[in-house]
Amino acid sequence: MTPSTLPPAAAIRHVRPSRALSFLVVALLLSFLLVFFVLPVVWLLLAPSKTAGEAVRDNPLSFGSFHQIGAAWRHLFAFQDGAMLTWLRNSAIYSGGSLILTLAVSVPAGYALALTKFRGRKTLLVITLVTMIMPQATLVLPVFLELNRFHLIGTVWSVILPFSFYPFGVYLVYIYFGSSLPRDLLSAARIDGCTEWQLFARIALPLAKPVIGLVAFFSFVGNWNNFFLPYLVLPNSKQFPVQVGLNQLLTSTPSFNPVAGAGLNITIPELALAIIVAILPVLVLFLFSQRTLVSGMLAGSTKE
Amino acid sequence: MRAGRRRTALRTAAAVLSLTTAALLAGCASADTTSRSSADRSAFKPATQKEGSQITVWADSTRLPSVQKYQKAHPDVKMDIVTYDGGADGSTYLQSKVQLFDRTGSGWPDVVFGSPTDVTWASEPTKPGARPFAAPLDDKLVPQSTLKGFAKGSLTPCQFDGHTYCLRNDIAQVVLWYNKSLMDKWGYQVPTTWEEYEALGKRVARDHPGYLVGSVGDTNSHESYFWSGQCPAFDLVKPDTLRTDLQDANCTRTAKLLDGLIDAKAVTTKGFFSQGFAKESGSKVLMAYGPSWYGQYLFKAAFNAPAKQIAAAPPLTWQGETKAATGNVGGGVWMVSSHSANLKASTDLVTWLTTSDENQASAPTYPAYTAAAQAWLKNPANSDYFAGDVSGAFEQAADEVWTGWSNTRFSDATAWSSVVLPALTAGKSLTETLPAWQKEIANEAKAHGYKVADQ
Amino acid sequence: MTLLETERVAVSPLRRGTPPRRRARGRAGYYFVAGYAVLLLAFGIVPTAYSFWLAFTNDQGQFTGLNQFVKVVQDYRVGPAFAHMLVYLVLWLVALVVLVVLTAVILRSRVRPATSALFRFLYYIPGALAGVASVLVWLFMLDPDVSPVSWLLKSLGMQTFAAVLAPGNLPLILMLIAFWTGAGGWMVVMYGALNNIPDEVLEAARMDGAGPWRTAWHIQIPMIRQWIVYMTIMAFATGTQLFVEPQLLQTASLGRVSPTWSPNQLAYVYAFQQGDFNGAAAISVVLLAVGLLAAGLLVARSNLFKLDES
Repeated sequence: MTPSTLPPAAAIRHVRPSRALSFLVVALLLSFLLVFFVLPVVWLLLAPSKTAGEAVRDNPLSFGSFHQIGAAWRHLFAFQDGAMLTWLRNSAIYSGGSLILTLAVSVPAGYALALTKFRGRKTLLVITLVTMIMPQATLVLPVFLELNRFHLIGTVWSVILPFSFYPFGVYLVYIYFGSSLPRDLLSAARIDGCTEWQLFARIALPLAKPVIGLVAFFSFVGNWNNFFLPYLVLPNSKQFPVQVGLNQLLTSTPSFNPVAGAGLNITIPELALAIIVAILPVLVLFLFSQRTLVSGMLAGSTKE
Repeated sequence: MRAGRRRTALRTAAAVLSLTTAALLAGCASADTTSRSSADRSAFKPATQKEGSQITVWADSTRLPSVQKYQKAHPDVKMDIVTYDGGADGSTYLQSKVQLFDRTGSGWPDVVFGSPTDVTWASEPTKPGARPFAAPLDDKLVPQSTLKGFAKGSLTPCQFDGHTYCLRNDIAQVVLWYNKSLMDKWGYQVPTTWEEYEALGKRVARDHPGYLVGSVGDTNSHESYFWSGQCPAFDLVKPDTLRTDLQDANCTRTAKLLDGLIDAKAVTTKGFFSQGFAKESGSKVLMAYGPSWYGQYLFKAAFNAPAKQIAAAPPLTWQGETKAATGNVGGGVWMVSSHSANLKASTDLVTWLTTSDENQASAPTYPAYTAAAQAWLKNPANSDYFAGDVSGAFEQAADEVWTGWSNTRFSDATAWSSVVLPALTAGKSLTETLPAWQKEIANEAKAHGYKVADQ
Repeated sequence: MTLLETERVAVSPLRRGTPPRRRARGRAGYYFVAGYAVLLLAFGIVPTAYSFWLAFTNDQGQFTGLNQFVKVVQDYRVGPAFAHMLVYLVLWLVALVVLVVLTAVILRSRVRPATSALFRFLYYIPGALAGVASVLVWLFMLDPDVSPVSWLLKSLGMQTFAAVLAPGNLPLILMLIAFWTGAGGWMVVMYGALNNIPDEVLEAARMDGAGPWRTAWHIQIPMIRQWIVYMTIMAFATGTQLFVEPQLLQTASLGRVSPTWSPNQLAYVYAFQQGDFNGAAAISVVLLAVGLLAAGLLVARSNLFKLDES
């Protein structure tokens, strides 16, 4: 990667006031966006450290006490005998289960689309692309109706199976193999007497690590945060993933639903803590991918 | 040749297309859903009973302690307690979930706490061939003697086609709440008519700015004021015909009175239950026209008003009218699922919850069961908090609930909250919002299969 | 590039050399795609067909022609729901295109790489809070009682949460939420696309004396036009699907927001409150058609996607 800032000399013909103005626009926009994107996150991280009263009275961006975080934690996990834990476990099962299925299905499919020839390949590819671009939510209601037909509503499969259908993952694998696995290598191996399965398992799969990581990341994040489908197909609150559980918490929170929520310990700090806990796995993944981000950048600089 | 063939193909395609379009436009069958039949209602066949099996209970957080108390007192009953929104504020959570359970054929909770609106759909099948969710409790489940013990008219929202589908938990008759200490200190008389209420409100606004005599900003404020004002907003003249006429003099006089008080800043458009109200103005509520549960729930729990300050007076009348009428704000019900495999335990639970002194004497709301109501009024915890005896006002109001405000298949809160409240927040007057409110009610009614009359 | 960028960079128009054709070897291809094809059939094609079938029949399974659609169109809630969606879409797409492209250009050519990487990361982080979490966070941001920007809300004349949720504000609020969670990701994508522009091109422009703004307008933006179109269509298709956000606002505002604010919510009410799955299907078919159209357009008309090796 080459240095991307333009040296000041580049704009030498421009008069100074316009340069100052241009700098001002840049600085203003970047800092405005910075506040816009970061401020809510900062508030969210600080909120559980205060009591509900302090959250209203004190400076919104002040820190309360660690003691209060502990209290909020106890209240949150005491809600409905630890429902929060059940929801987190459910989320892990749904996202984890569908992740395994997604990988098991999309890696061979992407490989076949990229490196084998069969009748209907093009059609399959086009359908994959179209379903990939179509927003997932369009199909949620029909999928619900279909699952209902097959009496799958309310089962683990009603969430895991639709989650496992991930055309974007197939497309990623397809692009990856199409561009990074030389066909000559495969042909050579074929001549050596490798079966198609051996080609896939011994040559393609070991090479696919980076793209598997990528598919896993997007599939997991997308499914963990999905709300609409589980909201429709899971009637019982013991089966909810944590996103739907958050909705349940919201309706029980006195600050947003004073009539129904009175008498519960779920107030602003508990709700904020619940949000943090609910997104923690995804957030960790994001932060973790930041390391890949840096090393990827270094790798990128040697490429060009 | 090729061109000719293509032309033929085109012509054929056009013909097919136009035929298809014609067929599409003509249609063949009605798009309406099959009308719900009430034929099977009389024959209630319980599900296979399994003695001692676990029962699932859905309650709102307010009623949760009561259910837990039952569990403690009956450790042998296997129970699974789930909190949900309890049908508050026009929520349709329960209805959506029952739709789902009906489709999956399992998963129904055995006992649920809900709103009277919930009974309207729970007493009907959600689709052809389905069993109505609510079990007819009068059908060998709850003895007649118990049903007779409920306050007059309090079971009306539970009754359809001669059966009783729920037990009423509490009545929420509207009374006039006031801060006795402040009234005495400032030398005000407790109003007995709407005209006096209005005059006092304007005087308070002048003499003690910031103090309030009411709020119209909650999701249920219309029940406090317009129901009490006998406004025909939700009047089922026939089971399938709703009369909604907000230009009726009863509605306009209430709207006008409130508009005057809103202008004077004596009545607020912020909800008593809205975020931050308790903190900012909780101690400045001189009067509140609202349900019997305001005492424990609003003044004590939310506003933290000290004991011996708050008192209740009977409903207001209009000058020249002798008989007062009042509204009803909420008043939950308990239903038993017709799918329950343990009807015995379920029925026992709802009976205990609604009728036992053990539960109701210390309930947060005024019991619908007459004997329990007596116990509730005698409970020192209820009476000690107030600045005087509230039983007279409560009992009188319980008898005066106006019956012209019907229990419809849709919640009366939706139109009020989504049309009237935002308009009030935006500074519009109630009087000028009445037509929009009426239109929304009429639309909702039609969408739910009612015929609408507006005269 | 970065993991974040690989996502779409991988989808980028691949100009690399295409592998040589190979004769099909047995049926291996079929075995490899079998699992995926089953899922595609079950959760892509069949539901689509099923919803079309439902939309043209009634609950007795009788063919109804367009009657379901006629019935739905006559519903008093349909007009407002689609109008809300439209206003929201316009706001959201304009904000997205203008701000994302502008920011990406600035991050690419006006800021040092390390700073740029930090900014991109910080802008992207809210993406982790997509869905319910983002709405909950914004409920607090919009509540003057607890919001860190309550001074701003109050100076705009909004003293209470209820006033913030005035019906006219809703499209703007939903736009803010969508922008907060989604824009950062698109900035990363646009940055990646800008990064693909060869340095020589920019160098040549500089030689000609073009300033950074001029370079951006005349060279960089036209060169990533494909990507802007891609983003717009994706954002449009997703925007038609509003459900969670208004649904939660409805709950949190105690019903001040209509329960049928967006078309998807209306479909939900049809299905789960009125028990009318055919009517619900009619609404989702309309939305589905919009999504299909957008997707088809993108696949057929742009060369963003690699379909064939030839």
